[in-house]
Amino acid sequence: MAGRGKLIAVIGDEDTCTGFLLGGIGELNKNRKPNFLVVEKDTSVTEIEETFKSFLARNDIGIVLINQFIAEMIRHAIDGHVQSIPAVLEIPSKEHPYDASKDSILRRAKGMFSAEDFR
Amino acid sequence: MRVNGNIELLRFMDLLELLEKKRETLNSLIEQGWFSITKARYSMGNKHVSALQYASEMVPLVCVHTKALENGEVQFFTERHIQKSSAESSDDLLPVEDIGPQEEGLRRRNKTKKDTPEKKDTEVAKTAKGPEVNPVRKIDQNPQQDPLKWFGILVPQPLKQAQSSFKQVIELSAEIAALQSAVLRTRQKLRLSLAKELNSEKSLGKSAKEKCPTSDLTVSEQKECIQQNKIVV
Repeated sequence: MAGRGKLIAVIGDEDTCTGFLLGGIGELNKNRKPNFLVVEKDTSVTEIEETFKSFLARNDIGIVLINQFIAEMIRHAIDGHVQSIPAVLEIPSKEHPYDASKDSILRRAKGMFSAEDFR
Repeated sequence: MRVNGNIELLRFMDLLELLEKKRETLNSLIEQGWFSITKARYSMGNKHVSALQYASEMVPLVCVHTKALENGEVQFFTERHIQKSSAESSDDLLPVEDIGPQEEGLRRRNKTKKDTPEKKDTEVAKTAKGPEVNPVRKIDQNPQQDPLKWFGILVPQPLKQAQSSFKQVIELSAEIAALQSAVLRTRQKLRLSLAKELNSEKSLGKSAKEKCPTSDLTVSEQKECIQQNKIVV
Protein backbone atom coordinates (compact mmCIF):
# COMPACT_ATOMS: atom_id res chain seq x y z
CA MET A 1 0.00 0.00 0.00
CA ALA A 2 1.21 3.60 0.51
CA GLY A 3 4.44 3.13 2.38
CA ARG A 4 7.67 4.95 1.67
CA GLY A 5 7.29 7.17 -1.36
CA LYS A 6 8.64 6.12 -4.72
CA LEU A 7 10.74 8.21 -7.05
CA ILE A 8 9.84 9.73 -10.39
CA ALA A 9 12.43 8.92 -13.05
CA VAL A 10 12.99 10.84 -16.27
CA ILE A 11 14.72 9.98 -19.55
CA GLY A 12 14.83 13.05 -21.72
CA ASP A 13 16.77 15.75 -23.47
CA GLU A 14 18.61 18.40 -21.48
CA ASP A 15 15.79 20.89 -21.14
CA THR A 16 13.29 18.19 -20.15
CA CYS A 17 15.62 16.86 -17.45
CA THR A 18 16.48 20.38 -16.26
CA GLY A 19 12.81 21.20 -15.94
CA PHE A 20 11.92 18.10 -13.97
CA LEU A 21 15.00 18.42 -11.77
CA LEU A 22 13.94 21.99 -11.02
CA GLY A 23 10.63 20.47 -9.99
CA GLY A 24 12.52 18.46 -7.38
CA ILE A 25 12.43 14.85 -8.59
CA GLY A 26 16.20 14.33 -8.86
CA GLU A 27 18.15 11.91 -6.70
CA LEU A 28 21.91 11.73 -7.01
CA ASN A 29 24.31 10.32 -4.46
CA LYS A 30 27.24 7.93 -4.20
CA ASN A 31 25.11 5.03 -2.96
CA ARG A 32 22.58 4.73 -5.74
CA LYS A 33 22.37 5.34 -9.46
CA PRO A 34 20.62 8.55 -10.49
CA ASN A 35 16.94 8.47 -11.37
CA PHE A 36 17.40 10.53 -14.53
CA LEU A 37 19.24 10.26 -17.83
CA VAL A 38 20.08 13.25 -20.02
CA VAL A 39 19.92 11.99 -23.60
CA GLU A 40 22.27 13.81 -25.92
CA LYS A 41 23.07 13.38 -29.59
CA ASP A 42 25.83 10.90 -28.87
CA THR A 43 23.85 8.80 -26.35
CA SER A 44 23.55 5.26 -27.70
CA VAL A 45 20.25 3.39 -27.97
CA THR A 46 21.79 0.60 -25.88
CA GLU A 47 22.46 2.99 -23.02
CA ILE A 48 18.90 4.34 -23.19
CA GLU A 49 17.45 0.84 -23.22
CA GLU A 50 19.64 -0.32 -20.34
CA THR A 51 18.72 2.72 -18.27
CA PHE A 52 15.01 2.20 -19.00
CA LYS A 53 15.21 -1.47 -18.02
CA SER A 54 17.13 -0.59 -14.85
CA PHE A 55 14.37 1.87 -13.90
CA LEU A 56 11.76 -0.86 -14.41
CA ALA A 57 13.77 -3.31 -12.32
CA ARG A 58 14.08 -0.87 -9.39
CA ASN A 59 11.29 -1.18 -6.82
CA ASP A 60 11.65 2.43 -5.69
CA ILE A 61 10.49 4.08 -8.92
CA GLY A 62 6.79 4.77 -9.38
CA ILE A 63 6.66 6.73 -12.64
CA VAL A 64 9.03 6.89 -15.61
CA LEU A 65 8.75 9.97 -17.81
CA ILE A 66 10.26 9.66 -21.26
CA ASN A 67 10.33 11.92 -24.31
CA GLN A 68 8.29 10.30 -27.06
CA PHE A 69 11.06 10.49 -29.67
CA ILE A 70 13.33 8.57 -27.26
CA ALA A 71 10.50 6.12 -26.56
CA GLU A 72 10.34 5.44 -30.31
CA MET A 73 13.98 4.27 -30.22
CA ILE A 74 13.13 1.65 -27.57
CA ARG A 75 9.50 1.00 -28.54
CA HIS A 76 9.88 -2.76 -28.21
CA ALA A 77 11.03 -2.38 -24.59
CA ILE A 78 8.15 -0.05 -23.75
CA ASP A 79 5.55 -2.26 -25.41
CA GLY A 80 6.91 -5.19 -23.45
CA HIS A 81 6.25 -3.45 -20.13
CA VAL A 82 2.74 -4.47 -19.04
CA GLN A 83 2.96 -3.97 -15.26
CA SER A 84 1.12 -1.08 -13.64
CA ILE A 85 4.13 0.03 -11.61
CA PRO A 86 6.18 1.83 -12.66
CA ALA A 87 3.84 3.74 -14.93
CA VAL A 88 5.46 4.89 -18.18
CA LEU A 89 4.38 8.30 -19.47
CA GLU A 90 5.44 9.53 -22.87
CA ILE A 91 5.89 13.27 -23.06
CA PRO A 92 6.63 15.57 -26.00
CA SER A 93 10.00 17.08 -26.74
CA LYS A 94 10.87 20.46 -28.22
CA GLU A 95 11.47 19.13 -31.71
CA HIS A 96 8.84 16.37 -31.65
CA PRO A 97 5.31 17.21 -30.48
CA TYR A 98 3.21 14.54 -28.77
CA ASP A 99 1.58 12.06 -31.12
CA ALA A 100 -1.22 10.03 -29.54
CA SER A 101 -1.06 7.41 -32.29
CA LYS A 102 2.47 6.46 -31.19
CA ASP A 103 1.69 6.23 -27.46
CA SER A 104 1.95 2.59 -26.28
CA ILE A 105 -0.89 2.91 -23.79
CA LEU A 106 -3.30 4.49 -26.24
CA ARG A 107 -2.41 2.01 -28.95
CA ARG A 108 -3.23 -0.81 -26.57
CA ALA A 109 -6.52 0.84 -25.66
CA LYS A 110 -7.36 1.58 -29.32
CA GLY A 111 -6.53 -1.98 -30.35
CA MET A 112 -9.31 -3.42 -28.24
CA PHE A 113 -11.95 -2.72 -30.79
CA SER A 114 -11.95 -4.53 -34.09
CA ALA A 115 -14.68 -5.21 -36.66
CA GLU A 116 -14.98 -8.81 -35.43
CA ASP A 117 -16.14 -7.67 -31.98
CA PHE A 118 -19.30 -6.08 -33.32
CA ARG A 119 -20.58 -8.84 -35.61
CA MET B 1 -24.60 -9.01 -18.95
CA ARG B 2 -25.15 -6.56 -21.76
CA VAL B 3 -26.11 -3.77 -19.35
CA ASN B 4 -22.87 -4.23 -17.39
CA GLY B 5 -20.93 -4.29 -20.63
CA ASN B 6 -22.53 -1.01 -21.72
CA ILE B 7 -21.75 0.63 -18.39
CA GLU B 8 -18.11 -0.46 -18.66
CA LEU B 9 -17.96 0.79 -22.22
CA LEU B 10 -19.30 4.20 -21.19
CA ARG B 11 -16.77 4.34 -18.34
CA PHE B 12 -14.00 3.43 -20.78
CA MET B 13 -15.01 6.24 -23.14
CA ASP B 14 -15.22 8.73 -20.25
CA LEU B 15 -11.76 7.72 -19.04
CA LEU B 16 -10.29 8.12 -22.52
CA GLU B 17 -11.83 11.58 -22.85
CA LEU B 18 -10.50 12.65 -19.46
CA LEU B 19 -7.08 11.23 -20.28
CA GLU B 20 -6.98 13.22 -23.50
CA LYS B 21 -7.89 16.45 -21.69
CA LYS B 22 -5.26 15.93 -18.98
CA ARG B 23 -2.68 15.13 -21.64
CA GLU B 24 -3.38 18.39 -23.45
CA THR B 25 -2.90 20.32 -20.21
CA LEU B 26 0.29 18.40 -19.43
CA ASN B 27 1.76 19.03 -22.87
CA SER B 28 0.98 22.74 -22.78
CA LEU B 29 2.49 23.09 -19.27
CA ILE B 30 5.66 21.31 -20.41
CA GLU B 31 5.93 23.62 -23.43
CA GLN B 32 5.42 26.61 -21.15
CA GLY B 33 8.22 25.31 -18.93
CA TRP B 34 10.61 24.96 -21.88
CA PHE B 35 9.81 28.45 -23.06
CA SER B 36 10.60 29.84 -19.60
CA ILE B 37 13.90 27.90 -19.50
CA THR B 38 14.81 29.32 -22.90
CA LYS B 39 14.05 32.85 -21.70
CA ALA B 40 16.17 32.29 -18.60
CA ARG B 41 19.00 30.93 -20.77
CA TYR B 42 18.77 34.00 -22.98
CA SER B 43 19.22 36.34 -20.01
CA MET B 44 21.75 34.27 -18.07
CA GLY B 45 23.78 32.83 -20.91
CA ASN B 46 23.87 29.42 -22.61
CA LYS B 47 26.35 27.86 -20.24
CA HIS B 48 24.55 29.04 -17.12
CA VAL B 49 21.36 27.05 -17.67
CA SER B 50 22.48 23.55 -18.59
CA ALA B 51 23.34 20.14 -17.17
CA LEU B 52 26.66 21.61 -16.01
CA GLN B 53 24.82 23.40 -13.20
CA TYR B 54 23.33 20.23 -11.73
CA ALA B 55 24.38 19.61 -8.15
CA SER B 56 26.74 16.74 -7.38
CA GLU B 57 24.32 15.52 -4.73
CA MET B 58 20.57 15.68 -5.01
CA VAL B 59 17.82 14.73 -2.63
CA PRO B 60 14.33 14.27 -4.11
CA LEU B 61 11.84 16.85 -2.89
CA VAL B 62 8.81 15.07 -4.33
CA CYS B 63 7.86 11.41 -4.28
CA VAL B 64 4.90 9.39 -5.48
CA HIS B 65 2.80 6.95 -3.46
CA THR B 66 1.03 4.06 -5.17
CA LYS B 67 -2.10 2.31 -3.98
CA ALA B 68 -3.48 -0.83 -5.61
CA LEU B 69 -7.30 -0.90 -5.62
CA GLU B 70 -9.53 -3.97 -5.44
CA ASN B 71 -10.59 -3.68 -9.08
CA GLY B 72 -6.96 -3.99 -10.22
CA GLU B 73 -6.41 -0.30 -10.90
CA VAL B 74 -3.53 1.62 -9.33
CA GLN B 75 -3.77 5.11 -7.86
CA PHE B 76 -0.84 7.51 -7.76
CA PHE B 77 -0.43 10.38 -5.26
CA THR B 78 2.43 12.85 -5.15
CA GLU B 79 3.92 14.10 -1.91
CA ARG B 80 6.15 17.14 -1.81
CA HIS B 81 8.60 17.48 1.08
CA ILE B 82 8.31 20.89 2.64
CA GLN B 83 11.71 22.52 2.87
CA LYS B 84 12.84 23.75 6.29
CA SER B 85 11.67 27.23 7.10
CA SER B 86 13.60 29.91 8.96
CA ALA B 87 12.18 28.77 12.32
CA GLU B 88 14.61 25.93 12.95
CA SER B 89 15.96 24.27 16.02
CA SER B 90 19.30 25.37 17.40
CA ASP B 91 20.78 21.98 16.51
CA ASP B 92 20.76 23.01 12.87
CA LEU B 93 22.62 26.23 13.58
CA LEU B 94 26.33 26.29 13.06
CA PRO B 95 28.58 28.94 14.52
CA VAL B 96 30.16 31.07 11.85
CA GLU B 97 33.11 33.30 12.40
CA ASP B 98 32.45 36.97 12.01
CA ILE B 99 35.79 38.64 11.44
CA GLY B 100 35.77 42.38 11.66
CA PRO B 101 35.75 45.29 14.05
CA GLN B 102 33.85 44.33 17.16
CA GLU B 103 33.33 47.76 18.56
CA GLU B 104 29.85 49.16 18.58
CA GLY B 105 28.78 52.53 17.39
CA LEU B 106 30.44 54.83 14.95
CA ARG B 107 34.15 55.01 14.72
CA ARG B 108 35.91 58.31 15.01
CA ARG B 109 37.40 59.23 11.68
CA ASN B 110 39.73 61.87 13.03
CA LYS B 111 42.06 59.86 15.19
CA THR B 112 45.31 61.09 16.68
CA LYS B 113 48.51 59.21 15.98
CA LYS B 114 48.87 58.26 19.61
CA ASP B 115 45.41 56.77 19.81
CA THR B 116 45.54 54.66 16.68
CA PRO B 117 48.27 52.19 17.73
CA GLU B 118 46.49 51.73 21.07
CA LYS B 119 43.22 51.09 19.30
CA LYS B 120 44.88 48.64 16.97
CA ASP B 121 46.24 46.79 19.97
CA THR B 122 42.82 46.54 21.52
CA GLU B 123 41.31 45.34 18.26
CA VAL B 124 44.00 42.71 17.89
CA ALA B 125 43.39 41.67 21.46
CA LYS B 126 39.70 41.34 20.80
CA THR B 127 40.21 39.24 17.70
CA ALA B 128 42.73 37.17 19.56
CA LYS B 129 40.16 36.43 22.25
CA GLY B 130 37.85 34.92 19.71
CA PRO B 131 35.71 36.32 16.97
CA GLU B 132 32.11 37.07 17.63
CA VAL B 133 29.98 34.16 16.54
CA ASN B 134 26.72 34.54 14.70
CA PRO B 135 24.60 31.47 14.34
CA VAL B 136 23.65 30.89 10.71
CA ARG B 137 21.39 28.34 9.06
CA LYS B 138 23.11 25.29 7.62
CA ILE B 139 21.66 25.92 4.16
CA ASP B 140 24.89 25.88 2.18
CA GLN B 141 25.87 22.43 3.39
CA ASN B 142 22.33 20.96 3.17
CA PRO B 143 21.84 19.04 -0.07
CA GLN B 144 18.06 19.19 0.34
CA GLN B 145 17.91 22.69 -1.04
CA ASP B 146 15.85 24.35 -3.72
CA PRO B 147 17.24 23.24 -7.12
CA LEU B 148 16.82 26.83 -8.25
CA LYS B 149 19.94 27.65 -6.24
CA TRP B 150 22.11 25.48 -8.50
CA PHE B 151 21.80 28.27 -11.05
CA GLY B 152 22.87 31.09 -8.75
CA ILE B 153 21.63 33.10 -5.80
CA LEU B 154 19.65 35.59 -7.84
CA VAL B 155 17.91 33.80 -10.67
CA PRO B 156 15.70 35.51 -13.23
CA GLN B 157 11.94 35.28 -12.95
CA PRO B 158 11.55 32.99 -16.03
CA LEU B 159 13.54 30.27 -14.25
CA LYS B 160 11.18 30.45 -11.28
CA GLN B 161 8.24 30.28 -13.68
CA ALA B 162 9.79 27.21 -15.29
CA GLN B 163 10.09 25.57 -11.88
CA SER B 164 6.46 26.36 -11.10
CA SER B 165 5.31 24.91 -14.46
CA PHE B 166 7.23 21.70 -13.97
CA LYS B 167 5.92 21.31 -10.43
CA GLN B 168 2.41 21.35 -11.87
CA VAL B 169 3.51 18.87 -14.56
CA ILE B 170 4.68 16.48 -11.84
CA GLU B 171 1.30 16.66 -10.07
CA LEU B 172 -0.51 16.03 -13.36
CA SER B 173 1.78 13.13 -14.23
CA ALA B 174 0.52 11.22 -11.21
CA GLU B 175 -3.09 11.81 -12.30
CA ILE B 176 -2.35 10.68 -15.84
CA ALA B 177 -0.55 7.56 -14.58
CA ALA B 178 -3.66 6.66 -12.56
CA LEU B 179 -5.92 7.29 -15.58
CA GLN B 180 -3.74 5.11 -17.81
CA SER B 181 -3.98 2.29 -15.30
CA ALA B 182 -7.79 2.70 -15.17
CA VAL B 183 -8.05 2.75 -18.98
CA LEU B 184 -6.03 -0.44 -19.39
CA ARG B 185 -7.89 -2.24 -16.61
CA THR B 186 -11.31 -1.25 -18.03
CA ARG B 187 -10.18 -2.34 -21.49
CA GLN B 188 -9.23 -5.74 -20.09
CA LYS B 189 -12.65 -6.13 -18.44
CA LEU B 190 -14.47 -5.11 -21.61
CA ARG B 191 -12.51 -7.58 -23.72
CA LEU B 192 -13.39 -10.37 -21.31
CA SER B 193 -17.09 -9.49 -21.27
CA LEU B 194 -17.17 -9.15 -25.08
CA ALA B 195 -15.47 -12.51 -25.46
CA LYS B 196 -18.04 -14.09 -23.10
CA GLU B 197 -20.95 -12.60 -25.01
CA LEU B 198 -19.47 -13.74 -28.29
CA ASN B 199 -19.08 -17.27 -26.98
CA SER B 200 -22.63 -17.35 -25.64
CA GLU B 201 -24.03 -16.06 -28.95
CA LYS B 202 -22.06 -18.64 -30.88
CA SER B 203 -23.36 -21.46 -28.71
CA LEU B 204 -26.87 -19.98 -29.07
CA GLY B 205 -26.53 -19.97 -32.82
CA LYS B 206 -25.24 -23.55 -32.81
CA SER B 207 -28.17 -24.91 -30.82
CA ALA B 208 -30.62 -22.90 -32.94
CA LYS B 209 -29.23 -24.46 -36.10
CA GLU B 210 -29.72 -27.89 -34.61
CA LYS B 211 -33.37 -27.19 -33.78
CA CYS B 212 -34.23 -25.08 -36.81
CA PRO B 213 -33.36 -26.95 -39.98
CA THR B 214 -33.17 -23.91 -42.25
CA SER B 215 -29.65 -22.65 -41.95
CA ASP B 216 -30.57 -19.48 -43.84
CA LEU B 217 -32.15 -17.97 -40.76
CA THR B 218 -30.40 -14.99 -39.19
CA VAL B 219 -29.30 -15.15 -35.54
CA SER B 220 -32.33 -13.10 -34.40
CA GLU B 221 -34.70 -15.40 -36.31
CA GLN B 222 -32.99 -18.41 -34.81
CA LYS B 223 -33.43 -16.88 -31.35
CA GLU B 224 -37.13 -16.46 -31.99
CA CYS B 225 -37.28 -20.06 -33.14
CA ILE B 226 -35.57 -21.14 -29.95
CA GLN B 227 -37.94 -19.11 -27.83
CA GLN B 228 -40.91 -20.61 -29.61
CA ASN B 229 -39.57 -24.11 -29.11
CA LYS B 230 -38.69 -23.15 -25.54
CA ILE B 231 -35.18 -24.44 -25.80
CA VAL B 232 -32.99 -23.82 -22.81
CA VAL B 233 -29.44 -22.92 -23.75
